Amino acid sequence: MVSQDVIGFTQRAVLFNRLRSGLTALGIAIGVAAVVVLTSMGEGLNHYMALEFSQFGTNNIRVAPGKPETMGLGPGIMNTLRPLTIEDADALSRLPHVVAATPNRMGRSEVEANDRIRVSTVIGTGPDMADVFQLEMAAGQFLPLDDPLSPRALAVIGATIQEELYGNKSALGDRIRIGGSRYRVVGVADPKGDLLGVNIDESVVIPAARAMELYNVNSVLDITVRFEENAPVDEVVASLRRLMLARHGVEDFNIATQQQMMEVLGSVLGVLTIAVAALGSISLFVGGVGIFTIMTIAVRERTQEIGLLRSIGATQRQIQNLFLSESVVLAVMGGVMGLLLGGIVVGLVSITVPTLPVRFSVPYIIAAELVSVAIGLMAGVAPATHAARLDPLDALRAE
Amino acid sequence: MRLPDRNHMAIAAVVRYPLRSSMLLVAIAIGVAAVLVLTSLGEGARLYVTSQFNSMGTHLLFVTPGKNEVGGLGGMAGSLGGSPRPFTLGDVRSLKRSPYISSTTPMVMGTANINYQGLERDIGVLGTTHTMKRLFEYEVKSGRFLPELDLDNASPVCVIGDTIARELFGTAEPVGKWVRIGDRRVRVIGWLEQGGQSGGRDLDEAVFVPIAFAMQVYNRESVQRMMVEATSDESLVKAKRDVIGIIKARHFGHEDITVMDQGTILSTFNKIFLVLTSTLAGIAAISLAVAGTLIMNVMLVAVSQRTAEIGLLKALGARRSQIIGLFLTEATLLSSLGAVVGVLVGYASIELLRQLVPLVDFQAPDWAVISAVLMAIASGLLFGIMPARHAADLDPVEALAGR
Repeated sequence: MVSQDVIGFTQRAVLFNRLRSGLTALGIAIGVAAVVVLTSMGEGLNHYMALEFSQFGTNNIRVAPGKPETMGLGPGIMNTLRPLTIEDADALSRLPHVVAATPNRMGRSEVEANDRIRVSTVIGTGPDMADVFQLEMAAGQFLPLDDPLSPRALAVIGATIQEELYGNKSALGDRIRIGGSRYRVVGVADPKGDLLGVNIDESVVIPAARAMELYNVNSVLDITVRFEENAPVDEVVASLRRLMLARHGVEDFNIATQQQMMEVLGSVLGVLTIAVAALGSISLFVGGVGIFTIMTIAVRERTQEIGLLRSIGATQRQIQNLFLSESVVLAVMGGVMGLLLGGIVVGLVSITVPTLPVRFSVPYIIAAELVSVAIGLMAGVAPATHAARLDPLDALRAE
Repeated sequence: MRLPDRNHMAIAAVVRYPLRSSMLLVAIAIGVAAVLVLTSLGEGARLYVTSQFNSMGTHLLFVTPGKNEVGGLGGMAGSLGGSPRPFTLGDVRSLKRSPYISSTTPMVMGTANINYQGLERDIGVLGTTHTMKRLFEYEVKSGRFLPELDLDNASPVCVIGDTIARELFGTAEPVGKWVRIGDRRVRVIGWLEQGGQSGGRDLDEAVFVPIAFAMQVYNRESVQRMMVEATSDESLVKAKRDVIGIIKARHFGHEDITVMDQGTILSTFNKIFLVLTSTLAGIAAISLAVAGTLIMNVMLVAVSQRTAEIGLLKALGARRSQIIGLFLTEATLLSSLGAVVGVLVGYASIELLRQLVPLVDFQAPDWAVISAVLMAIASGLLFGIMPARHAADLDPVEALAGR
């Protein structure tokens, strides 16, 4: 029996009972579609987070207080005996390759202006923040260069704050009260939305030293260092570490490049995606049970045909191949249908819920297709072997 | 055709094709068992968190300085920086005024280095009061927990976690020894039993000191968190009102604290876990749909194999509805059996999980079990309808001829 015959037989067998073949393939298709949709969501989330992280370029390094192995809650909540100071940020900004180093101290306070009060996030930072986080001004300017240790009481307000406290009136030059002290508004930021979990539009930005005074703390939460686009990262990290060690005496800080932070995040989301893919595969397995059942029935129905083939000289291997190829074809059909089905669902999701990030994960799609073929093979082996081992005489005589 | 006849015929059909029937059972059972096991993971996690939470007693209020909008990310920034108006020990003491409050447990958290005879390591410092022990049911291995002190008394004593005790003192008795925390000398008065995690912190790596002492070490005048215990469940609402009222009066009319009761926090947790568990159930239920396509397929095969039988029944005067009923009974029988097997396998797997992780009380929620079984049976009915109608629509003469 030449391979052309195998194809012909398989084709006829699949097409002879279209409804049955279609339903069997549909079982696999649902499983593949589930994997495609679920992993698309995982991948979409991963991609979204990566974009969120890298929207300010990838040449940022975060320096935070506390030993490298941080424990329990984040360093921001914990008090520490080893503060990270504005002077540290200032010193870091003078290193070679470093473009800017911006300290960060956050809190929440009442903001009073124009006879209105609103509780908002207060971000204490340096004049470089606008560059590091690519903040554009709608009016006025960002915090000017000042003595970092005793800066003037100037503030930049977010777009939402401007709208809620001032409406259409210009806030520039006006005095606002933040946590009881008076500040002069020098700038209004463009709407920007979330910036690594903090809504800039609902924040007011003041100099870091003022924020530390306001909240009576001795340490900034972290320092973001921006280095030149094509500077060698390792060298920059090493020089940051050397300088911090020289300033603090002991390694009481930790340095993480954006690359490292993204890798950690990526690996967490990767595990999540694998988990949902595995859950989705339960359906693929059930689909495999379906193929096995249908193939077993097919062998029983076509016992006579097998007997005839055997009696005119078909070998056991050829019979086995016949049924194996049928079950693989069913599985592959299911795989293709599932891909289409999953694609349609993902497409619908991205159209109807644009906020939900979805994105095809090619490796997972390939894996799902391969698994469906493998399931077709495995589910087909037992029935095909059974068919091949049938005694030709008995098979011919069977009803 | 009487009902017993119909049931008898359906059972006979199921028994006549053991392989096919058992494969169907397997397919449905996998789906049902998957729903049970996956939801038991979510439910187990929920129960674990809830029990951890309730081990503190049920009438607690959680107070954080700063007014936060619950749930928003603003809350994060709030907990980072606190509010400009400090929440002082004086504020804590003033709460004793309320008759509905039985105890207050203020907290200050931080990190520091601890030093004993040249051995040094990083620790978590927790400044608090003696009431903490009762709330979290800490077990003391030797010595004692923090004594009942005046809130302002910055007595240089500490209680150390198990890991710290072993790493600094080895086999020696730590109680009574002097250690250095930061730049201060502190006497160890107690050694806690191995405690595991509590509130996201590793107790074994923590050192407890009096609240006033911690505030001196970190040079701050504001408490970071506080737990308020009401006298009873009924007085919780009044206690909450009193906390807000007293603090507002002391802070010149500004309500600059956030008070959450255990119920609110728990219901937030429950909501999150419900979403998680139902998502898991939904993913597992996809496999029930796959099992449904298999039911339909097998029933179609059954119809075509039993064409002659159907013809005979029709010739004997069986009505259309009776034929449909016959095949639907068979499909339902198979799917119900599958559901039963699935529930058994699911419960067995959950039991296995419990043996493997005794800490977590894995159990499939009732709604998941009921809906998985109902879905399995419903898919049997739903996917059985088409083949059953197909059988009923057969022409009796042609069917009798087996065509």
